[in-house]
Amino acid sequence: MKTESIWQADVQQRVFRELAEAFSRPGEVRDLTNCIDGATAQRAVLITLMDGETTLADPHGQIAASDWPVLQGKRDVPETARYIAADGRRAPDFQPALGSLESPEFGATLLIEIDAVGDGPLSLELAGPGISGRGELRLEGLHSDWLERRTDWIAGFPLGVDILLSDAIRIVALPRTTRVVISVGGRLI
Amino acid sequence: MNAMNHTTTAYNFGFLDEYAKKEVRRAILKAIAIPGYQVPYASREMPMGRGFGTGGLQLTLSLIGPDEVVKIIDQGSDDSVNAVNLRQFIEMTCPGISTTTRTTECTLIQSRHRIPERPLTATQIIILQVPYPDPLVVVEPSEDKRKTMHGEADYSRLLVKLYEDIVKFDEITISHRYPTRINGHYVIDPSPIPRWDVPKLHDSAALILFGAGREKKIYAVPPHTKAEPLAFSDVPFRVEDFRDAAGQRRACARCGSKDSFLDEFVSDSGSKTYQCSDSDWCDGQLLRAAQAQGEPA
Repeated sequence: MKTESIWQADVQQRVFRELAEAFSRPGEVRDLTNCIDGATAQRAVLITLMDGETTLADPHGQIAASDWPVLQGKRDVPETARYIAADGRRAPDFQPALGSLESPEFGATLLIEIDAVGDGPLSLELAGPGISGRGELRLEGLHSDWLERRTDWIAGFPLGVDILLSDAIRIVALPRTTRVVISVGGRLI
Repeated sequence: MNAMNHTTTAYNFGFLDEYAKKEVRRAILKAIAIPGYQVPYASREMPMGRGFGTGGLQLTLSLIGPDEVVKIIDQGSDDSVNAVNLRQFIEMTCPGISTTTRTTECTLIQSRHRIPERPLTATQIIILQVPYPDPLVVVEPSEDKRKTMHGEADYSRLLVKLYEDIVKFDEITISHRYPTRINGHYVIDPSPIPRWDVPKLHDSAALILFGAGREKKIYAVPPHTKAEPLAFSDVPFRVEDFRDAAGQRRACARCGSKDSFLDEFVSDSGSKTYQCSDSDWCDGQLLRAAQAQGEPA
């Protein structure tokens, strides 16, 4: 049986560099096509970041049963997990960990899969660290509740959640410092 | 011995095992997401003493890929002992990568105590080695209390410390490790870079990462992020003043540059000369001067 290339260390290094770029420059879409060899972006990111030292929740059944043993991440509920894989087309139905004042890094990283990153009807205007002036991001298939819930989750910096949106091959990050305005209708989020 | 003879060693690429890299990588992503916050991590034993850049090195080894072009500097120089040792170690454990002394060519810079004079670009990442990551340690010995103070962005006692400096000396006397507030919240120790380099943290095109191996902390200043040195409205932050007694800006004795950070050298006779601290910058200025001279008048 041929092992998928995403399990190789050098491929994971490339995916990680794309992640570091994505979180450094919120709103900038990164294309993983050349790294992931058929795996979905969300799965490639999970394989890159997971091991037995961290916890993972899968409230929407995003992860194949056969992947759990090899990911090694400890299965957890979304309320306490460090990483949460979610389906962005569904409304969020959990309250992720936001961290504490002393340890804000315990705020969860949400890996949210949607239909399209970089194009689509939803247009966001972004500002904050990593963005020179203002940035723009287009998305498709993100349930509108996510951005509303996010506003609550990130209200008390340094507490908050860090979001990585993905479609089949592309990723884009919205860390807790990114301010988001939905351009359609000009409603402030 | 030539380090490149060892390319057939049993070391994993990048020396660290993949689990160690994953842990550092997760910490790096959180550090970027929470600008200026010191993310704890399980600093691994490296085959060199803690305090010799093991924190920066673990960041470098977790980021590095086979097509990387790496520059290693120590106090601005590519040729000092710490830089040479770290470079040889990276060459030995990361077969395929290339190293350079040129700031323009590298994709990854590991540095001790300087940020290059030439502005970095969006395709570069700089990693600074950090001996003491917490700026609050001078006013609060308990880490638990410091973590709460950081969380609340309570830096009043640090400001009192700076104020005491002004009362005693009429100016803030911190020459390096100047406390700098990132994105309006966390105050960081930007590692022992001179004040000259502190403005480079602000709105940088490149990602800036900090690694403290002994203190087991990783923190970051993302690109295009606000970085403000702590100061008072009537006592503004100032970089080093390189003017001589006559008020003239001193020039580098080697390349003549008047807009770089200068090191002071004292000869046996007591006379002082000044030279660029950033050796690649100095070489670049010399080359430019030589090319300008070579051109027909």
